[in-house]
Amino acid sequence: MIRKDQSALDYLYDHYSGALYGVVFRILKNEAIAEEVLQDVFLKVWEKIESYDSAKGKLFTWMMNIARNQAIDKTRSKESSKGRKTDDIDYLVNKIDIQEHSQLPIDAIGLKEVLLKLSEDQQFIVNQLYLKGYTQSEVADEFNIPLGTVKTRLRLAMIELRSILDIK
Amino acid sequence: MNIEEYISSGILETYALGELSAKEREDVEKNLQQYPALRDELSKIEETMEAVLMKAALNPRAEVKQKLFEKINKVPEGKVVTMAQESSSGWRYATASSVAIALLSSYLAYNYWGKWKKSESNLTELIAQNQRIAQDYNNVNLRLDQIETDLKVTSNPDFTRVVMKGAPNSPQSQYLASVYWNAQTKEVYLSIQQMKELSKENQYQLWAIIDGKPVDCGVFDFGVAGLIKMKSAFAVPTTFAVTIEPRGGKPSPSLETMQVAGNLAKG
Repeated sequence: MIRKDQSALDYLYDHYSGALYGVVFRILKNEAIAEEVLQDVFLKVWEKIESYDSAKGKLFTWMMNIARNQAIDKTRSKESSKGRKTDDIDYLVNKIDIQEHSQLPIDAIGLKEVLLKLSEDQQFIVNQLYLKGYTQSEVADEFNIPLGTVKTRLRLAMIELRSILDIK
Repeated sequence: MNIEEYISSGILETYALGELSAKEREDVEKNLQQYPALRDELSKIEETMEAVLMKAALNPRAEVKQKLFEKINKVPEGKVVTMAQESSSGWRYATASSVAIALLSSYLAYNYWGKWKKSESNLTELIAQNQRIAQDYNNVNLRLDQIETDLKVTSNPDFTRVVMKGAPNSPQSQYLASVYWNAQTKEVYLSIQQMKELSKENQYQLWAIIDGKPVDCGVFDFGVAGLIKMKSAFAVPTTFAVTIEPRGGKPSPSLETMQVAGNLAKG
């Protein structure tokens, strides 16, 4: 019915593979597994592109959620069952500088600068939810913060980020 | 519904993170359709999230892309959509086809967006190219104007051409330059045919020999194309000569540096 144009996938890959790989890698912390999951993510995007509905959200959000879910599913499988919850809070901001992995962050300095403008509470929430891929209830359980507080902090962080990133 | 309260509850952030139950999702989607303010807020949340994750991007190795495309090319393209067999009502088909049209158009919209981005960058390139061509055209025009002016001198019978050849003490006898001298107006023009390149400290200086004495006709640089207007020579010279002098010229010539010289034909 719909003849798919591979140049479309090519375009999506070139634009978003970095951001999605970042999402997947930070959850899985293993290059080989993260690469495998990234491929699965794009295969799924490719298969399901017809079911994407722009009324329900942006294309990036849709792809990001696929990536997040695939990666979280993978952590639940035995392949990488440990390690996910044992990192210290500053995992991203510090590790990205240390570059212990072969991947180079595309814009890590920019990210660090942006995050450091947030309050510590907000940095923590953004780091856990967007970068490390925890769910809100996981953060609440893990760190003994009421779920409502997690949501409020995220909300405030988003408003702050909006002005830092100049999103109108 | 109080929109502000709804937004500040953080439910849209949770929605964008894909963490709502199916029931809650549906509710949010209904509300989104109903309230433009919610759509607006959601899109800001999504843009912020996208901007953060773009900044946190990591490059996968290049082989990953290659492998992905290999996999995709193994899977047959597209999928067969099977329709329900019973054709009891036309609604079924109407719905199916409207869904198909909706899917197709959202896909096309996205696909054309990509193409649009591409043509936008092509356009920028073309504009730059256009500016280059306009610049070239201007340069050619200027050159043409100069050649026209030069032609007025060289084709004017009032001008006498004096060919200056390599001077006896010049190392290269093939050096050549010409002077156009107008006996009526006393104007002097010079054109270089072949001269050696000079260092920045030096310039050529043209002299008119009048009554056995050299008179300064001005300095010129190496490598000027076309005619150069020099100082007028007010008496009738017998000879024109060019020497190498320090930049700016000298009041009297250093004869040992004479490069070319030529005599004015008598008549």
